[in-house]
Amino acid sequence: MLEVAEPRAINGRAPDVFREGKWVPMRCYDDSEEVDFAIVGTGAGGGTLACKLAEAGFSVVTFDAGPFWRPLEDFASDENWQGGLFWTDERITGGADPVELGSNNSGRGVGGSTVHYTMIALRWRPEWFKCRTKLGYGRDWPISFDELEPYYEEAEEALQISGPIRYPWGRRRKRYPRRSHPVNAPGLVLARGCETIGINWSPVPLATLSSPRGMAHPCVYRGFCAYGCSTNAKQSVLVTFIPRALRAGAEVRDLAMVGRIDMGKDGKATGLTYHRRGEWRHQKAKHVVVAGYAIETPRLLLNSKCSQFPDGLCNENGLVGTHIMIHSGPGVWGVLDEEIRQYKAPPCMAVTEHWNYDDSDKKDFHGGYAFMSQGPLAVGWAQCVAINRGMWGMKLRQEMTRYNHVAGLRIVGETEPQRHNRIEVADEKDQYGLPIPRMTFSYSENDRRLMKHSIGSMKSVLEAGGAKDLWIDDDTSHLMGGCRMGDDPNDSVVDKDGRSWSIPNLWVCDGSLFPTSGGVNPSLTIQALACRIGDRITHMSKRGEL
Amino acid sequence: MLAPRQPEPSQRPLIAVAAATLATAAGVGWLLQRAWKPKGDTNHRAAEALGAGAAILCVSVALDSAIEHYRGGFKDRAMFVGPTMALLGLGAATYIAFRPERANDRAPKIALLTVGATGLIGLGFHAYNILKRPGELDALNLFYGAPAGAPAALTLAGLYGVIAGEMLSSRAYVRTRLPKHAAGLIAFSLLGTVAEAGFLHFRGAFQDPAMYAPVTIPPLAAVAVGGAALTARAIPIAEPLLKATAVLGIAGPIFHAYGIHRNMGGWRNWSQMILQGPPLPAPPAFLGIAAAGLGILPLLNQEAK
Amino acid sequence: MSDFHSPYLTYDVLDKWDSPSWNEQTRGVVRQRLEQVPPRRFLSADQWSLLEAIASRLVPQPDREEPVPIAPWIDDMLHHNHTPGYRYADMPPMREAWRQGLNAIAAETRNRHGKAFEELSPDDQDELLSDVQNNRVESRYWGDLPAGGFFLHHLLKQVVGVYYSHPDAWSEIGYGGPASPRGYARLGPDERDPWEAEELHFEAADA
Repeated sequence: MLEVAEPRAINGRAPDVFREGKWVPMRCYDDSEEVDFAIVGTGAGGGTLACKLAEAGFSVVTFDAGPFWRPLEDFASDENWQGGLFWTDERITGGADPVELGSNNSGRGVGGSTVHYTMIALRWRPEWFKCRTKLGYGRDWPISFDELEPYYEEAEEALQISGPIRYPWGRRRKRYPRRSHPVNAPGLVLARGCETIGINWSPVPLATLSSPRGMAHPCVYRGFCAYGCSTNAKQSVLVTFIPRALRAGAEVRDLAMVGRIDMGKDGKATGLTYHRRGEWRHQKAKHVVVAGYAIETPRLLLNSKCSQFPDGLCNENGLVGTHIMIHSGPGVWGVLDEEIRQYKAPPCMAVTEHWNYDDSDKKDFHGGYAFMSQGPLAVGWAQCVAINRGMWGMKLRQEMTRYNHVAGLRIVGETEPQRHNRIEVADEKDQYGLPIPRMTFSYSENDRRLMKHSIGSMKSVLEAGGAKDLWIDDDTSHLMGGCRMGDDPNDSVVDKDGRSWSIPNLWVCDGSLFPTSGGVNPSLTIQALACRIGDRITHMSKRGEL
Repeated sequence: MLAPRQPEPSQRPLIAVAAATLATAAGVGWLLQRAWKPKGDTNHRAAEALGAGAAILCVSVALDSAIEHYRGGFKDRAMFVGPTMALLGLGAATYIAFRPERANDRAPKIALLTVGATGLIGLGFHAYNILKRPGELDALNLFYGAPAGAPAALTLAGLYGVIAGEMLSSRAYVRTRLPKHAAGLIAFSLLGTVAEAGFLHFRGAFQDPAMYAPVTIPPLAAVAVGGAALTARAIPIAEPLLKATAVLGIAGPIFHAYGIHRNMGGWRNWSQMILQGPPLPAPPAFLGIAAAGLGILPLLNQEAK
Repeated sequence: MSDFHSPYLTYDVLDKWDSPSWNEQTRGVVRQRLEQVPPRRFLSADQWSLLEAIASRLVPQPDREEPVPIAPWIDDMLHHNHTPGYRYADMPPMREAWRQGLNAIAAETRNRHGKAFEELSPDDQDELLSDVQNNRVESRYWGDLPAGGFFLHHLLKQVVGVYYSHPDAWSEIGYGGPASPRGYARLGPDERDPWEAEELHFEAADA
C-alpha cells in the first residue's frame, strides 16, 4: 500500500511537486509562535484558503493528517496500491442508507480529496443559492450566486480549467482558461444519446491540463485520475494552491493529525493540539480554520468540547454534524457492439445538466441532477459488477471479458438536508485515542423519487446512445454539510463568511459549509467559497474587524 | 469583475528556448538561401521557386497525413491516397524545381493537377469526418477531428505546380496578370495556414508565448504580398516578411520537438507524443509558401517596370 | 458452466513491462505482487484453507496451471489491518468480521453436510455460498454478523479485488493496465493504440 512514513515538509523545506527529488524552501514557524491562521486540512477548502491568506500577508500554518505527496514519484499505476491515498482510519457508517466512505469520498494527504477526485469543475445553477425563495424547496444560502461568481472565475483561472468554448447551461461567462479535451468513447455514447433524444450535452469542464503549464504536463489520458495523477496534469490543490501558499510564506505540516482545538478562558480559540512524529504538540494561533471536509470538521468540533462548550465547539444550537448530505449516484450500464475501452482518459468526459436546469418534467420531486459518462478501471469495475449484481463464479469471469464494450452513466443527484442525517462521535477510539466519527444517513422520499426519475433519464440516453443489456447499480459521491452557514445564529453553525457565531476566531472553510447539496460536484464551489472567505478575512482585517 | 491576476509559472525558460530556436532557424534559413542558386530568367526562377515550394508542401503533407492516417488506423482505405498522392506531388514538384524548363510539360502538369484535385476530395472526406461526430461543426470537433490544412495544402501544391508550368508559357496573361494572381494565391495560402496554426495554437491556449509567432508575422506577410500584387511599393516590405515567415517554417518543427519534450515522458514517450503532441511536419508549410512567394516577387517588380 | 473464453488470447499486459506504459514505481508494485506472495500470518490454517476453497468458487480458475493467489493477499490485508476506512454500523471491525464470517461458514457447512467446506462438491459449495449471500443461514456462529453483508462487502469484494489486481486478470479482460508515462492517444469508439489489447473474437451476447 502506498504510504509515506515520515513527514517531508520539515526543516525549512517542502517537496517540489514539479521536480523529482527537489525541494522548495518553506518558512517554518515555532509551535509557540502565535501565527495568524492555523488551518486544519489542505484540501479544496483548506489548501485554497491557505494560499489566499498567505498571499494576503498573513502568517499561516496548515495541517494535514496525511502525507505530502510527490505525484511524479510516489504514484504507481495500480488501483490497489494507490489505496494509500484514502482516509483509512476507522469510521462507522449507518442509517437506512449507509454511505460508503474511504476511497468513495475521503482522501488523506496534502491536497485532500482533490488528489483523487475526477476533476469535474462545474458551477452551481444560480437559483440554487436561493432555492427556497426561487425554486420553492430546500434552504436559501446566506450568499447569492452574484456574490460568488467572481470567485468561481478566480478558482477556474487558478486551476486553468479545460472547458468547452460554449457551455450550454448557466449564466453567460468568460471563456474557460484552457480548451476542452477530446471526448473519449464513453463520453461520445452519452453525446450520441443526448443528441438522439434532443437534449444538450457538453464535454465536462475538467481541472486537468489540455496543454502544458510551467512544468506540469498535459493529460496523457491514462485514466487513473481517481487513483492519483502521476502526470501532474490534474490541477489538484497539491499542485496549484499549495505551491503558491508555500511561496507566499505559509507552512504545511504533513502527517500532522489535529486532535483538538485549544480554547482559552475567554471563550476564544488559542490554537491547536496536533500529533506529529510520535508526540502531541500545541501550535498557538490567533485564528483557527477547520477545513477537514464534512466528516472530520464536525468531528473535530465535537471532540474539542470543553467545560465552556460541553457539547462541542460552535454547537450551542446542536447543529454541528447535522444536515449532512451526499450526492445520490444510481448508475446505468450497458454493452455496445463497438469497442469502448472505458479505461482510457478521465472517467467523466461528457455531461448533461439538462435536469439541473429544466424543471418541467419533475412531477413528483424537487431538486436537480446531472449525469456523466463513466470510466471505471479493472478492480473498480469488477467490484461494481460483483457487488451490485451479486455475480460471482465463472459467470463473473466471463461477464468481465465484456469490459471493453461497456459504457455507463451515473448521476450526481441532489439530496435534501435532513437533520437526522448527521456526523457524531462514537465511544470507540482511533489510533490517536480520538473518538471516531459515526455517520448516519438515509434518503428522503424526495431523494428516492429524484433517483427513480434519473434512472429513467439515464436509460433513455444510454439506449439512444446504442447500448443494450442495460442494468442499474447504486453508489454515492461527495460529502456536504455538517457545519452549515446561514444568516441566523439559531439556525446555522457559522455565518456567511464561515465564521463561528459564538467563537469569533474560529472558522470553517470546506464542504461542511453547504446548507444544500445542489446537483453538481462540490469542489469548484468549495474552492470559490474559500477564495471568497480569504478575501473577506483580508477585508475584515483591514477594517479591524478580526 | 475580473479574477485577480494570479501567479503563473515563469515564462523565462520558454523565452530562452524561443530565442535559441529562432536564431537556429534563421541560421538554417540563411544557409538555405546561400545554397539556392536559381538559373535562367525571372520566369524560370519563379517556376523553380514554385516547384520548390510545392515540394516542401508535399513533404509536409506526406509526413503529416501518414502520421495522422496511421493514427486513424487507415480504417478507411481511402486514407492511403493522401500520403501517396503527396509523394507523387513531391516527385513532380521536385522535378520542376530542378528542371524548371520542364515545368510546362504534360507529365508533371497532369501529376500536379491530380494531386491538387486529391486535395479537394480530401477536404470533402475531412468535412464528412467532422460532420458525422456528435456536435457536428462545433469547436471540439474542429480541434480534434480531421483538419482542413493538410488536404488544402495538397491542393495548393498542385496549384503552385501548375502555375510554375504556366510561367514558362508564352501567353500574354503570363506577363500581365499571372504574377499578381500568383501573389494573391500566396497571400491566401498564408492566411489559410495562419488560420489552421492559429486555431491549433488556440487549442493549446497559447501557453507558450512563441505560439503567437505564426499568427503575427505570416499575416503581415500575407497582407504585404497581397499589397505587392497591387503596388510595387509593397515589394520591399513583402520580401523580409516572407523571409521571416520562411524562418518560422524552419523553426516550427524545432519548437514542436520541444513541445513533445515538454509532454509527459518527453521523447521517450514518442509513440504517444508523435500523435498527441504538436505536429512536427506541419510548420514547414510556411517555408514552402514563403519560398514560392519569394520567387514571385521579382516578377511583380518586373511587371511594375 | 461452459468453458471460459477470452477475446484477448494474444494479449499479455506484462509484455509492456519495459515499455513507456510502465514506470519504475509500478514495476516495483507489480513485481512484489507477483514474486512476494506472503505467507499465512493472520488466519488460522483452517480459515486459510476454507478461504482458498471459497475463493476458487467465487473466482474459479480451472483454466490456469498457476492460479492467481487470493487467500495470501487477504491474509496480508488482515495482518496489516489495512481497513477500507469505514465499517457498516451493523458489522464488527474488519478483522473480527473475517474471523467470525469464516468460522460461521465453516460451522454452517458442518451443520448441513457434516463435512468441511473444502470436502464438498463444487455444486454444493456454490449452493452454500449462495445461501450465505442471501442470508439463508442457520448457524448460531453468525451471531450479529449479517451473512449477506459479510458475503458481499467483505468476502466477494476482496476476493474479486485481489483477482482483478493481478496482471493475468488484466490480460484476460483486455484491460490496458498500467499507463505512465505513456497513456493513450486514440480515445474514440473502435480505436485502439497498438499497445492495447487486440480483440480477436467478441461475443456481444450474454454468456
